[in-house]
Amino acid sequence: MEGIVGKLGLGFEVVFTLKQFDWELFGTTLAVKLPFNVLMCLIGALLGTLIGVLPGVGPVATIAMLLPITFNLDPIGALIMLAGIYYGAQYGGSTTAILVNLPGESSSVVTCLDGYQMARRGRAGPALATAALGSFFAGCFATLVVALFAPPLAEVALKFGPAEYFSLMVLGLVAAVVLAHGSLVKAVAMVILGLLLGLVGTDVNSGVLRFAFGIPELADGIGFVVVAMGMFGIAEIVTNLEQAEKREVFTKKVSHLWPTREDFRRMMPAVLRGTFLGSALGILPGGGALLASFGAYTLEKKVSRYAHEFGQGAIEGVAAPESANNAGAQTSFIPLLTLGIPSNAVMALMIGAMMIQGIAPGPQVMEQRPQLFWGMIASMWVGNLMLVILNLPLIGMWIKLLTVPYRLLYPTILLFMGIGVFSLSNNPFDVLIMAFFGVLGYICVKLECEPAPMILGFILGPLMEENLRRAMLLARGDALVFVQKPISAAFLLAALVLLALIAAPNIRKKREQVFVEET
Amino acid sequence: MQVKNEKDFWAGLMFIAFGLAFALIAVGPPAALVELGRQLGWKIQYGYPMGSAVRMGPAYFPTVLGGLLAVLGAIVFVRSFFSKLPRAATAVQMSFNLADLAIGVAVYALLAWLSKRVFGTADWGMMAGSVVLAALAFVYRPKAKPIVLIVASAMVFAYLLKPLGLVASSILLVFVAALGGHEYRTKEVAILAVVLAIFSVLVFVKGLTLPFPVWPAFLQ
Repeated sequence: MEGIVGKLGLGFEVVFTLKQFDWELFGTTLAVKLPFNVLMCLIGALLGTLIGVLPGVGPVATIAMLLPITFNLDPIGALIMLAGIYYGAQYGGSTTAILVNLPGESSSVVTCLDGYQMARRGRAGPALATAALGSFFAGCFATLVVALFAPPLAEVALKFGPAEYFSLMVLGLVAAVVLAHGSLVKAVAMVILGLLLGLVGTDVNSGVLRFAFGIPELADGIGFVVVAMGMFGIAEIVTNLEQAEKREVFTKKVSHLWPTREDFRRMMPAVLRGTFLGSALGILPGGGALLASFGAYTLEKKVSRYAHEFGQGAIEGVAAPESANNAGAQTSFIPLLTLGIPSNAVMALMIGAMMIQGIAPGPQVMEQRPQLFWGMIASMWVGNLMLVILNLPLIGMWIKLLTVPYRLLYPTILLFMGIGVFSLSNNPFDVLIMAFFGVLGYICVKLECEPAPMILGFILGPLMEENLRRAMLLARGDALVFVQKPISAAFLLAALVLLALIAAPNIRKKREQVFVEET
Repeated sequence: MQVKNEKDFWAGLMFIAFGLAFALIAVGPPAALVELGRQLGWKIQYGYPMGSAVRMGPAYFPTVLGGLLAVLGAIVFVRSFFSKLPRAATAVQMSFNLADLAIGVAVYALLAWLSKRVFGTADWGMMAGSVVLAALAFVYRPKAKPIVLIVASAMVFAYLLKPLGLVASSILLVFVAALGGHEYRTKEVAILAVVLAIFSVLVFVKGLTLPFPVWPAFLQ
């Protein structure tokens, strides 16, 4: 415990370090000392709230756009900023959900249900405050969870061999399938399609060029950013444009933000339950903010004394999922920082960001770069504090932003996406690939094939193949190695149980119900 | 037999096509066919080495996965004949059909090939393809305007960025993209385009020092 305090202290020291900036101004050099990392955290939190509020722009597209830019930044500052975007988006997303009945962020889908009803009854203020305060509490708690759980996990992870890694990734992919809406078979098929697309390019073991069709640009494989921008960015803009714009902004002035004593009494247990559940679900591979918010809402509906009020503006229905998504967003950093395995698309981008800086993600990061690791954790707490301030007193600013029509928004998003993708390698070919995946993503949406599992498969494809090959080589071709090693067997068993659970008829019905209710 | 679930029908076909394509490319054509091709003067590529379970070759993983994907696709495909879901939930509402998609791909491929032969680079073909498809969408498929024009705007931007610079290409992107929306107001779009062009030059070129040309190459 004491060690943790000391290390968190180191983290805060890193965050608040003053950095000297020299500006050439009118011939004289101006030396200014600024807390650079705090500034980066603020930029991340601001950007995160901004894109969280705007429906149709998610953290995946934003981080993907900013990824090439982080190349020029100091690694700690860059990662602090990118992390801020992810959890900042969880704060911003709730504002749109409550005021417009649109999920600003996919993880705020369930907040729409009760949040918007509260707003319709003139209780938009307390709903917004509940979301922000719940998120803040969850953020602080999740920061502690990361600080406490990451080090022992990393120690365990150091002992992992290729077989364990392979099985863990199988578990992650199965978890991603559970997350997907609709048909199970289609979700598994999308995962496999992603795995296959991830194999395009030079095979590291043999040097053979696979599925490149003689195109030199494909030798390094398809960039993850390009796929994510196409599947999420372009496809989403097109589907939005096909539906006529019908956004009812709650323009009434939001007055009396502060919840009543009764509100506080009712939201406390919901916030606590949401935080615990969210923290736990965030750690799972395949987890993160989205799974956390769905899980928390469902749980709350089961255990709350006010279950009959759900859907009509129950404060618990805002408090629980909003705490959970923020907790989940933060604890999903645990598998990334300890195992080097991304649990969702945002974490995959964080891996990309670390690689750009020459850091190989994995259990060794904590040992080799304690400043980066603890600085990032400390920045999460600082970021959450900033976000409460950004989201409560300054709420009016974000509401104004909601009145910006989509017809002005999407060319802007598109331009930034274009610049981001082009700057990856200064080659228009990347944009061509993005367009290809945009069309594929559009078709997938129309055929009800979820892109999220595909993206996770795409990220894990090469890693999985590599670990499978190594494990098989070490075991001399004996596939039983995956069940003979206890940790690996446990992962596979967990994956099997998970699959059996969702395939079981009554749970499948329940799962479909949850997704139907929330769409 | 009647297709009861259109979405699953097409999704199944798509998975089968992708799965078979990956598996077949990995395995490669039979040796006899490659030999025959050689004699006829065609360049047919062998597949990748398969290896064994101990030492997996580059073809191993993709072949297994491709086969699995095709099987899953077949399940989805067969299931589409027995679905009990209501028709409204399973109808595919796409703004273009399979023939349109094929025409689109063919236009891009043909123009890229032509441009490669004439100018030595496929870039001009990509731009011409975008223009042709945008025109086709306006005349024959007004519903498909969003997807065609959004894709076209991204392509035009990317392929004109180096020759025309960031300012001109971002203005073009905004105009083409705006044409894909519901309401097009020239004045508003013009203001947006100029503001965005200035913003991106300041932030991306000046601030973040991305190596983009700002002005057209022929002006310098």
